[in-house]
Amino acid sequence: MTDEPREPDIASAVPRTVLEEHQAAMLSWMQEIAPYGILTTDNELKVQSWNEWLETYSGLAAPMVKGRALLDLFPDIRERKLDEHFRRALAGEVIVLSATFHSYLLPLPSPVREPGVTHMQQTVRIAPLSLHGRVRGTITIIEDVTQRQVQAAALARQHQRDQLLSSSLVHLLRTRDPEGLIRELFPKVAEHLNLDTFLNYLVEPDGKFMRLHAAAGISEEERQQLGMVPLTDTSLSGKAATEQRPIIVNHLQSTGEPQFAIHRVLGIRAAACHPLMVSDRLIGTLTFASHHRDAFTAEEIEIMATISHYVAVALDRAITDTVLRRVQLQLADHARDLENKVHERTAKLQDTIVQLESFSYTVAHDLRAPIRALKSYAQLLLEETTPDFPETWLQYLNRIKRAAFRLDAITRDLLQFSTISRQDIQLSTVDLHEVIQDIQLLQPVLNEEALAIHHPLHSVLGHRTLLQHCLSNLLDNAVKFVKPNNRPHIVIRSEVVEGHATPAGKAAPSINPVVGMTISAHPAPADDRRVRIWVEDNGIGIAPEWHDKIFGIFERLNSPEKYEGTGIGLAIVARAMQRMGGSCGVISTVGQGSRFWLELPVGQSG
Amino acid sequence: MELTASQNDALTELINIGYARAAGALSELTGHRITLDVPKVAIHPLDEITILLRGVVQGEVASVNQVFSGPVAGNALLLLDHRAALLLNQLLTDDRAVSRGLDGSVREVITEVGNILLNACLGVFGNILQVQVSFSVPRMTVDSVEGVLNSITVRDQELRYALMIHTRFHVRASDVSGYLVIILGVTSLDRLLYEVKRWEERQLA
Repeated sequence: MTDEPREPDIASAVPRTVLEEHQAAMLSWMQEIAPYGILTTDNELKVQSWNEWLETYSGLAAPMVKGRALLDLFPDIRERKLDEHFRRALAGEVIVLSATFHSYLLPLPSPVREPGVTHMQQTVRIAPLSLHGRVRGTITIIEDVTQRQVQAAALARQHQRDQLLSSSLVHLLRTRDPEGLIRELFPKVAEHLNLDTFLNYLVEPDGKFMRLHAAAGISEEERQQLGMVPLTDTSLSGKAATEQRPIIVNHLQSTGEPQFAIHRVLGIRAAACHPLMVSDRLIGTLTFASHHRDAFTAEEIEIMATISHYVAVALDRAITDTVLRRVQLQLADHARDLENKVHERTAKLQDTIVQLESFSYTVAHDLRAPIRALKSYAQLLLEETTPDFPETWLQYLNRIKRAAFRLDAITRDLLQFSTISRQDIQLSTVDLHEVIQDIQLLQPVLNEEALAIHHPLHSVLGHRTLLQHCLSNLLDNAVKFVKPNNRPHIVIRSEVVEGHATPAGKAAPSINPVVGMTISAHPAPADDRRVRIWVEDNGIGIAPEWHDKIFGIFERLNSPEKYEGTGIGLAIVARAMQRMGGSCGVISTVGQGSRFWLELPVGQSG
Repeated sequence: MELTASQNDALTELINIGYARAAGALSELTGHRITLDVPKVAIHPLDEITILLRGVVQGEVASVNQVFSGPVAGNALLLLDHRAALLLNQLLTDDRAVSRGLDGSVREVITEVGNILLNACLGVFGNILQVQVSFSVPRMTVDSVEGVLNSITVRDQELRYALMIHTRFHVRASDVSGYLVIILGVTSLDRLLYEVKRWEERQLA
């Protein structure tokens, strides 16, 4: 075919050459076998030719239409103002008429049974028929596009349905509010499916009833009426729920079944109720209904089923979310209560500790005077004894004196422990070497033979008196706890460590800080480097199970008969280190000596 | 070759007369008020037109092509890019569902719109310039700009110039832009300009 304008010659009825004869035969065959309607008219739009296709689809035989005016045969053409296109063709134009705009040119019956399609849908071309440069009539070619249009309409419906479902899905995925969920969704569904009513029931916790959760298209009074239904097949929703399958009731007003009596009273004419299932679990039902339509199509019911499935999943999620949120809130409340209780009890505990410490201080302090009296009078009695003084009495007096001395030591240490806990301390750089020298002055036993100092000793950030108490206690123990007939050999050294890594072995348990006391550091530590001071002895050592306990108050590992002591010394060390923001601990094996360590921030050099 | 200011004015006026008729026909057809902007007219050598169109029409184009013959002969095209074709279809047919492609019915709608527009313009040549113009059946194709123009020039080596008319439809508060390209041989262009001049003279007389 060529795109050049052709001028089929309507006067070719009288062929003159073989070629023209051949063309005439071809045209004749084309007209008869073409899958199109082909008609020609003269200038007055009287039909000149009418092919077999048109005979078939119009039911009008060619002899019945030939010579008759097209607009008389089909007055509908003029009524729909399509005659104008023939006039334009007569003026030389080629006209295209699409089915989308005009549906059809000739009112021929539809070849398909489809609701809403009354006529065959046609695409039409109208062109002038010219002879020797003059327009002598028109030729019209009609194509049947009904099938295509029906399919396009189905596709468009499918597209709309897909859009509805995907927008519903998006809505349901977004929402967290189970109350508003279906109410917001329904208008969209209603518009697409031409519905006016929905009822959403949810199964009650007792599993015996369903409660109306959301609804539209019914009055408040009707809503009250429908508020609760039993989970039995005595109602539409109950039936769908118990049988766990969709119940579709078309022409509801004309059914006599008792389950639908209430719907009949409400004037509902068609209803489709789907159970809302998540896995095998029933959570409720969703009924779509209409007061003005008598039946739903299979396609509509399928959409309702899909939406019900979406709604079930979304409702389940929203309900779970709500429960979860409630539990989270309860949990948060509970946590807050607990925290308050902890605060309250901590405050009480701290108050008690303060009172106890104050009490122990008072006791220790007030006990000292009578103990001193006891000591002094026992001593006086011993000095004043005569030779006839019974030996047994002398032994009793000595026991009283020893007990008084021991009591004195205990009250002194207790007083020291209390003081350390209570006093406000200021931290400053302490020269370790000076501290050791002071201790040596007070304890002559710590001569060069017994105590080896590995220089240099690093300065620390601490409290000089407290540190002296600590080291004094450790050195005291090192001298005291040696095997019989052994001479103590003690080593003191220091090292700088990074951060808070504690050495292997046991660290003293941390002690809750006591309220009402302040620790201030001057100057503040410039870095997190710390000085670890080691006090290593050749003593009797400590069994591992005691490593935890020895820093507690009154924890004694050895009997006072064997090794003297109050059982408070290491507790004083631990408390003093804690007050200085430091730590302490021990590494020891029985029979192989002990290595105690103290750790404090690095002091400022110079 | 360039049009003189007066030739340009005259052609613009002529085509605008055709457009008025086309807009009326389209409004009646669709039930929506459709207006067409006053066309912008320019003449370009054919080898320039591909480059020009490639700059303004992206990707594949929907084209409605109508051959015309007579003293002034050539090829008239309505070119719409893919998006514009779909949008125009949607606006004209109230098609709520967005068509994903240029399927059968969209093609037909675009063909009819192209037919109305091309008939209006070419009809103007016939009526006002008093030259007899015959039309072929309009054909719709979807191809690249090069593809569309090549298929025309391959068939007719005589075609040398393109009368390019920028077209803008206003439908339901939306705009759709398209291009009307009328490709002519040297002789036809000369004849067209000659007839335009005569028409101007008649107007002045």
